[in-house]
Amino acid sequence: MIPVIGLVVGLALGLWLEPTVPLWLQPYLPIAIVAALDAVVGALRALAEKRFNDRVFVVSFISNVIIASAMVFLGDQLGVGSQLSTGVIVVLGIRIFANAAAIRRRIFHA
Amino acid sequence: MSRDTPTPTGNAPWSGPGLLEQIADNALDDDYYVFRGLEPRPSRRAGLVVGLVVALFAMFVTTAALQTRNDRPATELERRTLAADIEARQKTLDERRTTAAGLSAEVQSLQDANNAAQGEPAELGVISASAAVVGPGIVITAENGPDDLGAGRITDRDLQVLVNGLWYAGAEAVSVNTNRVGTLTSIRTAGDAITVNFRSISPPYTVVAVGDSESLQTRFAQNAAGAYWENRRKRSGVEYAVTPSSDVSLPAVPDERLALKHAATLEEDR
Repeated sequence: MIPVIGLVVGLALGLWLEPTVPLWLQPYLPIAIVAALDAVVGALRALAEKRFNDRVFVVSFISNVIIASAMVFLGDQLGVGSQLSTGVIVVLGIRIFANAAAIRRRIFHA
Repeated sequence: MSRDTPTPTGNAPWSGPGLLEQIADNALDDDYYVFRGLEPRPSRRAGLVVGLVVALFAMFVTTAALQTRNDRPATELERRTLAADIEARQKTLDERRTTAAGLSAEVQSLQDANNAAQGEPAELGVISASAAVVGPGIVITAENGPDDLGAGRITDRDLQVLVNGLWYAGAEAVSVNTNRVGTLTSIRTAGDAITVNFRSISPPYTVVAVGDSESLQTRFAQNAAGAYWENRRKRSGVEYAVTPSSDVSLPAVPDERLALKHAATLEEDR
Protein backbone atom coordinates (compact mmCIF):
# COMPACT_ATOMS: atom_id res chain seq x y z
CA MET A 1 0.00 0.00 0.00
CA ILE A 2 2.70 2.45 1.00
CA PRO A 3 4.67 2.01 -2.28
CA VAL A 4 1.51 2.84 -4.25
CA ILE A 5 1.01 5.98 -2.16
CA GLY A 6 4.69 6.78 -2.75
CA LEU A 7 4.18 6.38 -6.50
CA VAL A 8 1.20 8.73 -6.51
CA VAL A 9 2.95 11.26 -4.30
CA GLY A 10 6.04 11.18 -6.50
CA LEU A 11 4.01 11.70 -9.66
CA ALA A 12 2.04 14.53 -8.04
CA LEU A 13 5.21 16.20 -6.77
CA GLY A 14 6.83 15.96 -10.17
CA LEU A 15 3.81 17.40 -11.92
CA TRP A 16 3.19 20.06 -9.32
CA LEU A 17 6.74 21.29 -8.69
CA GLU A 18 8.00 20.76 -12.23
CA PRO A 19 11.59 20.82 -11.02
CA THR A 20 14.10 21.95 -13.59
CA VAL A 21 16.94 19.53 -14.12
CA PRO A 22 20.29 21.30 -13.84
CA LEU A 23 22.13 21.35 -17.11
CA TRP A 24 25.06 19.29 -15.84
CA LEU A 25 22.65 16.59 -14.68
CA GLN A 26 20.65 16.37 -17.89
CA PRO A 27 22.77 13.75 -19.70
CA TYR A 28 22.52 11.38 -16.73
CA LEU A 29 18.81 11.59 -15.98
CA PRO A 30 17.54 9.31 -18.79
CA ILE A 31 20.10 6.61 -18.01
CA ALA A 32 19.42 6.93 -14.28
CA ILE A 33 15.72 6.46 -14.96
CA VAL A 34 16.28 3.33 -17.03
CA ALA A 35 18.52 1.94 -14.28
CA ALA A 36 15.89 2.78 -11.66
CA LEU A 37 13.25 1.14 -13.82
CA ASP A 38 15.37 -1.99 -13.86
CA ALA A 39 15.47 -1.98 -10.06
CA VAL A 40 11.71 -1.39 -9.85
CA VAL A 41 10.85 -4.18 -12.28
CA GLY A 42 13.25 -6.49 -10.46
CA ALA A 43 11.52 -5.62 -7.19
CA LEU A 44 8.13 -6.37 -8.74
CA ARG A 45 9.37 -9.77 -9.87
CA ALA A 46 10.80 -10.49 -6.40
CA LEU A 47 7.49 -9.43 -4.93
CA ALA A 48 5.68 -11.82 -7.22
CA GLU A 49 8.07 -14.60 -6.21
CA LYS A 50 7.55 -13.68 -2.56
CA ARG A 51 11.22 -13.07 -2.02
CA PHE A 52 11.07 -9.26 -1.91
CA ASN A 53 13.39 -7.57 0.48
CA ASP A 54 13.14 -3.85 1.06
CA ARG A 55 16.82 -3.40 1.82
CA VAL A 56 17.86 -5.16 -1.36
CA PHE A 57 15.42 -3.01 -3.32
CA VAL A 58 16.63 0.26 -1.86
CA VAL A 59 20.28 -0.61 -2.24
CA SER A 60 19.88 -1.95 -5.78
CA PHE A 61 17.85 1.10 -6.75
CA ILE A 62 20.42 3.58 -5.50
CA SER A 63 23.43 1.65 -6.72
CA ASN A 64 21.84 1.15 -10.15
CA VAL A 65 21.24 4.88 -10.52
CA ILE A 66 24.70 5.80 -9.31
CA ILE A 67 26.54 3.21 -11.39
CA ALA A 68 24.62 4.04 -14.55
CA SER A 69 25.26 7.76 -14.11
CA ALA A 70 28.90 7.11 -13.31
CA MET A 71 29.31 5.04 -16.45
CA VAL A 72 27.80 7.77 -18.59
CA PHE A 73 30.03 10.32 -16.89
CA LEU A 74 33.09 8.18 -17.47
CA GLY A 75 32.07 7.59 -21.07
CA ASP A 76 31.71 11.33 -21.58
CA GLN A 77 35.18 11.91 -20.18
CA LEU A 78 36.62 9.21 -22.44
CA GLY A 79 34.73 10.40 -25.49
CA VAL A 80 32.64 7.25 -25.81
CA GLY A 81 29.64 8.61 -23.91
CA SER A 82 26.99 7.72 -26.45
CA GLN A 83 28.36 4.22 -27.08
CA LEU A 84 28.59 3.47 -23.38
CA SER A 85 25.06 4.84 -22.88
CA THR A 86 23.85 2.50 -25.60
CA GLY A 87 25.57 -0.44 -23.92
CA VAL A 88 24.07 0.37 -20.54
CA ILE A 89 20.62 0.79 -22.07
CA VAL A 90 20.90 -2.54 -23.90
CA VAL A 91 21.92 -4.47 -20.78
CA LEU A 92 19.31 -2.81 -18.59
CA GLY A 93 16.70 -3.27 -21.29
CA ILE A 94 17.39 -7.00 -21.50
CA ARG A 95 17.13 -7.28 -17.72
CA ILE A 96 13.88 -5.36 -17.68
CA PHE A 97 12.45 -7.57 -20.39
CA ALA A 98 13.55 -10.76 -18.68
CA ASN A 99 12.08 -9.70 -15.35
CA ALA A 100 8.87 -8.55 -16.98
CA ALA A 101 8.67 -11.93 -18.75
CA ALA A 102 9.08 -13.74 -15.43
CA ILE A 103 6.26 -11.67 -13.90
CA ARG A 104 4.11 -12.36 -16.92
CA ARG A 105 4.77 -16.07 -16.66
CA ARG A 106 3.78 -16.02 -12.98
CA ILE A 107 0.56 -14.08 -13.57
CA PHE A 108 -0.67 -15.76 -16.75
CA HIS A 109 1.11 -19.09 -16.31
CA ALA A 110 2.33 -18.76 -19.85
CA MET B 1 16.74 -20.19 -15.78
CA SER B 2 20.04 -21.19 -14.29
CA ARG B 3 19.09 -21.08 -10.64
CA ASP B 4 16.35 -22.72 -8.67
CA THR B 5 13.69 -21.59 -11.05
CA PRO B 6 10.50 -20.48 -9.36
CA THR B 7 8.39 -21.33 -12.36
CA PRO B 8 8.85 -24.49 -14.35
CA THR B 9 9.63 -23.29 -17.83
CA GLY B 10 9.81 -26.47 -19.84
CA ASN B 11 11.83 -24.63 -22.47
CA ALA B 12 14.94 -25.90 -24.18
CA PRO B 13 17.85 -26.19 -21.75
CA TRP B 14 20.31 -23.40 -21.42
CA SER B 15 22.19 -23.54 -24.66
CA GLY B 16 25.46 -21.76 -23.93
CA PRO B 17 27.31 -19.00 -22.17
CA GLY B 18 26.14 -16.21 -24.51
CA LEU B 19 26.61 -12.78 -23.00
CA LEU B 20 23.08 -11.60 -23.65
CA GLU B 21 21.59 -14.85 -22.40
CA GLN B 22 23.68 -14.60 -19.29
CA ILE B 23 22.35 -11.11 -18.70
CA ALA B 24 18.83 -12.32 -19.18
CA ASP B 25 19.39 -15.26 -16.84
CA ASN B 26 20.73 -13.06 -14.09
CA ALA B 27 18.00 -10.52 -14.57
CA LEU B 28 16.96 -10.66 -10.95
CA ASP B 29 19.61 -9.31 -8.63
CA ASP B 30 21.43 -12.04 -6.85
CA ASP B 31 20.76 -10.26 -3.60
CA TYR B 32 17.12 -11.23 -3.58
CA TYR B 33 18.24 -14.87 -3.49
CA VAL B 34 20.92 -14.22 -0.94
CA PHE B 35 18.56 -12.41 1.44
CA ARG B 36 15.91 -14.99 1.02
CA GLY B 37 16.54 -16.70 4.29
CA LEU B 38 16.65 -13.57 6.44
CA GLU B 39 13.76 -12.88 8.73
CA PRO B 40 11.53 -10.05 7.56
CA ARG B 41 12.29 -6.62 8.93
CA PRO B 42 9.69 -4.53 10.72
CA SER B 43 7.28 -4.00 7.86
CA ARG B 44 6.21 -0.44 8.65
CA ARG B 45 9.61 1.19 8.42
CA ALA B 46 10.56 -0.94 5.45
CA GLY B 47 7.39 0.02 3.65
CA LEU B 48 8.11 3.69 4.31
CA VAL B 49 11.59 3.50 2.84
CA VAL B 50 10.33 1.57 -0.17
CA GLY B 51 7.55 4.14 -0.62
CA LEU B 52 10.12 6.93 -0.47
CA VAL B 53 12.26 5.29 -3.13
CA VAL B 54 9.24 4.65 -5.32
CA ALA B 55 8.20 8.29 -4.89
CA LEU B 56 11.72 9.34 -5.92
CA PHE B 57 11.50 7.12 -8.97
CA ALA B 58 8.10 8.52 -9.93
CA MET B 59 9.44 12.03 -9.56
CA PHE B 60 12.42 11.20 -11.74
CA VAL B 61 10.20 9.89 -14.46
CA THR B 62 7.78 12.83 -14.37
CA THR B 63 10.55 15.35 -14.30
CA ALA B 64 12.35 13.80 -17.23
CA ALA B 65 9.13 13.46 -19.21
CA LEU B 66 8.15 17.05 -18.53
CA GLN B 67 11.61 18.28 -19.34
CA THR B 68 11.68 16.44 -22.63
CA ARG B 69 8.24 17.73 -23.51
CA ASN B 70 9.15 21.31 -22.60
CA ASP B 71 12.34 21.12 -24.58
CA ARG B 72 10.61 19.94 -27.68
CA PRO B 73 8.89 23.23 -28.60
CA ALA B 74 12.21 25.03 -28.33
CA THR B 75 13.83 22.48 -30.60
CA GLU B 76 10.89 22.72 -32.96
CA LEU B 77 11.10 26.51 -32.97
CA GLU B 78 14.81 26.34 -33.63
CA ARG B 79 14.27 23.96 -36.50
CA ARG B 80 11.61 26.18 -38.02
CA THR B 81 13.79 29.25 -37.60
CA LEU B 82 16.62 27.46 -39.32
CA ALA B 83 14.35 26.40 -42.15
CA ALA B 84 13.12 29.96 -42.57
CA ASP B 85 16.70 31.15 -42.48
CA ILE B 86 17.69 28.73 -45.20
CA GLU B 87 14.76 29.80 -47.29
CA ALA B 88 15.56 33.48 -46.87
CA ARG B 89 19.19 32.92 -47.77
CA GLN B 90 18.27 30.90 -50.80
CA LYS B 91 16.05 33.75 -51.88
CA THR B 92 18.89 36.21 -51.35
CA LEU B 93 21.15 33.94 -53.33
CA ASP B 94 18.65 33.81 -56.18
CA GLU B 95 18.32 37.57 -56.13
CA ARG B 96 22.06 38.00 -56.18
CA ARG B 97 22.36 35.53 -59.02
CA THR B 98 19.82 37.54 -60.98
CA THR B 99 21.69 40.73 -60.18
CA ALA B 100 24.96 39.10 -61.18
CA ALA B 101 23.46 37.94 -64.46
CA GLY B 102 22.13 41.45 -65.13
CA LEU B 103 25.45 43.01 -64.27
CA SER B 104 27.43 40.66 -66.45
CA ALA B 105 25.03 41.38 -69.29
CA GLU B 106 25.67 45.06 -68.68
CA VAL B 107 29.41 44.45 -68.62
CA GLN B 108 29.08 42.53 -71.88
CA SER B 109 27.16 45.32 -73.58
CA LEU B 110 29.56 47.94 -72.25
CA GLN B 111 32.48 45.90 -73.50
CA ASP B 112 30.83 45.60 -76.86
CA ALA B 113 30.24 49.33 -76.96
CA ASN B 114 33.84 49.88 -75.92
CA ASN B 115 35.09 47.55 -78.63
CA ALA B 116 32.94 49.36 -81.15
CA ALA B 117 34.33 52.68 -79.99
CA GLN B 118 37.90 51.43 -79.90
CA GLY B 119 38.31 51.84 -83.64
CA GLU B 120 37.54 55.56 -83.63
CA PRO B 121 39.72 57.38 -81.07
CA ALA B 122 42.57 58.03 -83.45
CA GLU B 123 40.18 59.57 -85.91
CA LEU B 124 38.37 61.43 -83.13
CA GLY B 125 41.70 62.77 -81.94
CA VAL B 126 42.32 64.24 -85.36
CA ILE B 127 38.86 65.76 -85.58
CA SER B 128 38.96 67.22 -82.10
CA ALA B 129 42.56 68.31 -82.64
CA SER B 130 43.67 66.54 -79.48
CA ALA B 131 46.21 64.47 -81.39
CA ALA B 132 49.16 65.53 -83.44
CA VAL B 133 48.79 64.60 -87.10
CA VAL B 134 50.98 64.00 -90.13
CA GLY B 135 50.01 63.69 -93.72
CA PRO B 136 50.05 65.38 -97.10
CA GLY B 137 48.87 68.95 -97.27
CA ILE B 138 49.73 72.50 -98.21
CA VAL B 139 51.75 75.18 -96.53
CA ILE B 140 50.67 78.79 -96.94
CA THR B 141 53.10 81.49 -95.97
CA ALA B 142 51.95 85.08 -95.61
CA GLU B 143 53.94 88.18 -94.82
CA ASN B 144 52.89 91.76 -94.21
CA GLY B 145 53.08 94.01 -97.21
CA PRO B 146 55.29 97.13 -97.40
CA ASP B 147 52.61 99.24 -95.73
CA ASP B 148 52.72 97.15 -92.57
CA LEU B 149 50.98 99.73 -90.40
CA GLY B 150 48.02 100.21 -92.76
CA ALA B 151 46.40 98.08 -95.42
CA GLY B 152 49.49 95.90 -95.86
CA ARG B 153 49.20 94.53 -92.35
CA ILE B 154 47.75 91.04 -91.98
CA THR B 155 44.93 91.17 -89.45
CA ASP B 156 43.15 88.53 -87.44
CA ARG B 157 40.32 88.83 -89.92
CA ASP B 158 42.67 87.85 -92.75
CA LEU B 159 43.82 84.79 -90.89
CA GLN B 160 40.25 83.83 -89.99
CA VAL B 161 39.26 84.01 -93.61
CA LEU B 162 42.31 81.98 -94.56
CA VAL B 163 41.57 79.22 -92.04
CA ASN B 164 37.88 79.18 -92.94
CA GLY B 165 38.77 78.94 -96.59
CA LEU B 166 41.05 75.99 -95.88
CA TRP B 167 38.29 74.18 -93.97
CA TYR B 168 35.99 74.87 -96.81
CA ALA B 169 38.54 73.54 -99.25
CA GLY B 170 38.55 70.22 -97.43
CA ALA B 171 41.38 70.53 -94.91
CA GLU B 172 41.28 67.95 -92.14
CA ALA B 173 43.60 69.77 -89.74
CA VAL B 174 44.90 73.31 -89.72
CA SER B 175 47.60 75.07 -87.73
CA VAL B 176 48.73 78.67 -87.65
CA ASN B 177 52.41 79.18 -86.77
CA THR B 178 52.39 75.67 -85.22
CA ASN B 179 49.29 76.47 -83.22
CA ARG B 180 46.76 73.84 -84.05
CA VAL B 181 43.27 75.12 -84.72
CA GLY B 182 40.82 73.16 -82.62
CA THR B 183 37.19 73.42 -81.64
CA LEU B 184 37.90 75.95 -78.90
CA THR B 185 40.52 77.90 -80.78
CA SER B 186 40.09 81.59 -81.40
CA ILE B 187 42.08 83.75 -83.77
CA ARG B 188 41.99 87.39 -82.80
CA THR B 189 44.05 90.49 -82.31
CA ALA B 190 45.21 91.31 -78.85
CA GLY B 191 47.17 94.54 -78.71
CA ASP B 192 49.75 94.57 -81.47
CA ALA B 193 49.84 90.86 -82.10
CA ILE B 194 47.50 88.17 -83.27
CA THR B 195 46.83 85.37 -80.83
CA VAL B 196 45.92 81.81 -81.63
CA ASN B 197 44.99 79.58 -78.70
CA PHE B 198 45.82 82.65 -76.55
CA ARG B 199 49.40 82.55 -77.80
CA SER B 200 50.81 85.55 -79.60
CA ILE B 201 52.22 84.97 -83.02
CA SER B 202 54.11 87.31 -85.28
CA PRO B 203 54.70 87.45 -89.01
CA PRO B 204 55.58 85.70 -91.19
CA TYR B 205 52.54 83.57 -90.73
CA THR B 206 52.70 79.95 -91.75
CA VAL B 207 49.37 78.22 -92.10
CA VAL B 208 49.55 74.47 -92.62
CA ALA B 209 46.59 72.36 -93.70
CA VAL B 210 46.40 68.58 -93.97
CA GLY B 211 44.50 67.20 -96.94
CA ASP B 212 45.01 66.16 -100.52
CA SER B 213 47.62 68.69 -101.66
CA GLU B 214 46.34 69.14 -105.15
CA SER B 215 42.64 69.43 -104.47
CA LEU B 216 43.24 71.63 -101.42
CA GLN B 217 45.29 74.00 -103.49
CA THR B 218 42.81 74.09 -106.33
CA ARG B 219 39.72 74.41 -104.23
CA PHE B 220 41.26 77.09 -102.01
CA ALA B 221 42.27 79.10 -105.05
CA GLN B 222 38.73 78.86 -106.39
CA ASN B 223 36.73 79.68 -103.25
CA ALA B 224 35.96 83.04 -101.71
CA ALA B 225 38.85 82.93 -99.26
CA GLY B 226 41.35 82.35 -102.04
CA ALA B 227 39.85 85.23 -104.01
CA TYR B 228 40.00 87.43 -100.90
CA TRP B 229 43.69 86.71 -100.39
CA GLU B 230 44.45 87.13 -104.10
CA ASN B 231 42.76 90.50 -103.81
CA ARG B 232 44.78 91.37 -100.69
CA ARG B 233 48.01 90.58 -102.51
CA LYS B 234 47.15 92.65 -105.51
CA ARG B 235 45.75 95.60 -103.61
CA SER B 236 47.90 95.79 -100.46
CA GLY B 237 51.07 94.00 -101.44
CA VAL B 238 50.62 91.25 -98.86
CA GLU B 239 53.01 88.46 -99.64
CA TYR B 240 51.28 85.17 -99.96
CA ALA B 241 52.42 81.78 -101.27
CA VAL B 242 50.85 78.34 -101.37
CA THR B 243 53.22 75.36 -101.40
CA PRO B 244 52.02 71.78 -101.67
CA SER B 245 53.81 69.33 -99.41
CA SER B 246 53.66 65.55 -99.25
CA ASP B 247 54.53 65.42 -95.60
CA VAL B 248 53.41 68.01 -93.07
CA SER B 249 53.10 67.50 -89.34
CA LEU B 250 50.83 69.42 -86.97
CA PRO B 251 50.94 69.44 -83.18
CA ALA B 252 47.93 68.85 -80.97
CA VAL B 253 45.92 71.62 -79.42
CA PRO B 254 47.40 72.54 -76.00
CA ASP B 255 45.71 70.75 -73.11
CA GLU B 256 44.16 73.89 -71.63
CA ARG B 257 42.17 74.34 -74.84
CA LEU B 258 40.79 70.80 -74.54
CA ALA B 259 39.52 70.89 -70.97
CA LEU B 260 35.72 70.79 -70.66
CA LYS B 261 34.05 72.18 -67.57
CA HIS B 262 30.37 72.25 -68.37
CA ALA B 263 29.53 70.33 -71.49
CA ALA B 264 28.49 66.69 -71.09
CA THR B 265 27.78 64.05 -73.69
CA LEU B 266 24.15 63.47 -74.55
CA GLU B 267 23.73 59.71 -74.35
CA GLU B 268 21.49 59.25 -77.42
CA ASP B 269 24.17 60.81 -79.58
CA ARG B 270 25.62 57.58 -80.78
